[in-house]
Amino acid sequence: MTGSSRDSGVRPFPFFRAGAQAHAGESHRPILVLEDVYKYFRRDVPTLKAVNLTIERGEFVFVTGASGAGKSTLLQLIYRKHTVDQGRISFCGRDIARLSSSSIPYLRRNLGIVFQDFQIIEHWSVFDNVAVALEILDMPQRLVRARVAEALERVGLAGRGPERTSDLSGGEQQRVAVARAIVTEPALILADEPTGNLDPHLAIDILTLFEEINASGSTVLFATHDHSLIAKRDHRIISLDDGRVVESRTGLGGWHAAAQAAMAARAAIGA
Amino acid sequence: MNLQSTIRRAKRGFREEFRLYMVAVFSLTVAFLCLGGSMLAVANLNAIGERFGDTGRVTVYLKDDAAGEDISRLGAVLEGLPEVASVEYWKPAEARAHFLEETDLASELSSIPKDAFPASLEVTLRSGRNAPRTSHMVQRIREFRAVQDVERYDGFYRRVDSLVAAGRGIALAVCLLVGIGVLAVIGNTIRLAVARRRREIEVMKLCGATDRFVRDPFVLEGVFQGVASSLVAVAILALVFVLLREQVDSALSVLLGGKSVFLHPLSCLALLGLGAFTGAIGSALSVRRYLAV
Repeated sequence: MTGSSRDSGVRPFPFFRAGAQAHAGESHRPILVLEDVYKYFRRDVPTLKAVNLTIERGEFVFVTGASGAGKSTLLQLIYRKHTVDQGRISFCGRDIARLSSSSIPYLRRNLGIVFQDFQIIEHWSVFDNVAVALEILDMPQRLVRARVAEALERVGLAGRGPERTSDLSGGEQQRVAVARAIVTEPALILADEPTGNLDPHLAIDILTLFEEINASGSTVLFATHDHSLIAKRDHRIISLDDGRVVESRTGLGGWHAAAQAAMAARAAIGA
Repeated sequence: MNLQSTIRRAKRGFREEFRLYMVAVFSLTVAFLCLGGSMLAVANLNAIGERFGDTGRVTVYLKDDAAGEDISRLGAVLEGLPEVASVEYWKPAEARAHFLEETDLASELSSIPKDAFPASLEVTLRSGRNAPRTSHMVQRIREFRAVQDVERYDGFYRRVDSLVAAGRGIALAVCLLVGIGVLAVIGNTIRLAVARRRREIEVMKLCGATDRFVRDPFVLEGVFQGVASSLVAVAILALVFVLLREQVDSALSVLLGGKSVFLHPLSCLALLGLGAFTGAIGSALSVRRYLAV
């Protein structure tokens, strides 16, 4: 565990950096554990039911399932947009459901979040869109400039900092969002359908970018319903069907197995 | 919290949303102009009220056969009273001349004989006088041998006082209503400006910004908008006041015998303070609804 000394105030949640572990014991502990998690938006109709998952450090995990299966809800529970109704979610050993609202920002500083609709500010420059994540950490401007330049280089936008974000293509805008997510070197990256608005060619590019980020030490949870994308890669797959984890497999055949299991489960429910 | 970062982000907001800023400042300026105008009306009505208070008069008509010694004694007694500011002795001829001058009917009334007017003592009362004390004083004056009659001009002053009081009350009520309206306009203007930038707030919250980190630049921007608007409103009021003062004063001097007054510097400062305060509170409240991300 690496505590940042930049913030002089009391830090209600420790700051974790990707790949860096000062504590030997921490590196063996899973980064994310979900135990019997339930989430209800409507009474008696749980969006997530008895979800049990363990994500190890440095993993690249696909979270898949049909629209409405609960992928986004799962991610939203992790970055505490919503709170679990039942069960427990541990991030780096801390139960995030028990965090006070004033501690949530400190949890999010350990996460990089990328959305389908990019969530970037179009009238800001590329630099400003990425730098905002570091300004929140009260980092000196000199360091901000260096880190942003580095992040833009990693996502293939080197030297594009001064450009207005609205002038970029969809794929480039998503790269800006990825740069913002990785610039703080977070321990866990949550990608909620990041390729949903992109054509297949750009989707592969963005997926490759996330894999490169994963290779540098960040754990990645990549939610998508794009079967073709999942089929092309050899990563662990967590499939959600009607709020339940149906299959959790690793390997190129993982998706097919998960899909078959989902169909079997539906058939069983139908029967 | 880094103040430099807050100022830098507030400046960026100003740069990026310059047109929105100008629209907000314009709307707020109109609102503050209404409020300032109402305050100006109240200030002038107060001044009129005080002026009439200052010019309270009593005329002591003297008997034709009053001895000079009695008149002098009466004058000395009156000058010694705490309610009295000054005492002036008018001979019949002076009273006649003054009447002709005030009524502007010299040609028509020039035939009035010189002795048609009695000699009198014109007593000017101090401001802050009150009716019971004046009545007591008049009662005592009547007891003097040289006194024929005493005119208090009570009816006139009562009417003027009640008119001024009613005007002041109406202006204060308008001021209050305008004040509430101004608060609503400020709140809505800032809320619209903040709503346009809710994506910014969402992004910052998702990146791990604390509520304070998000809120502070908006509050700073709100303070700036409030102060700038109230400053512009005061400047416009002052300009209009200077430009129209001559015409207004000539009309006022004929009707009420006084001059118009501008807002007290403390009132101007209070307007600026209100601008800063409402700007800050309006922004803080508007941002709050978008902080739950």
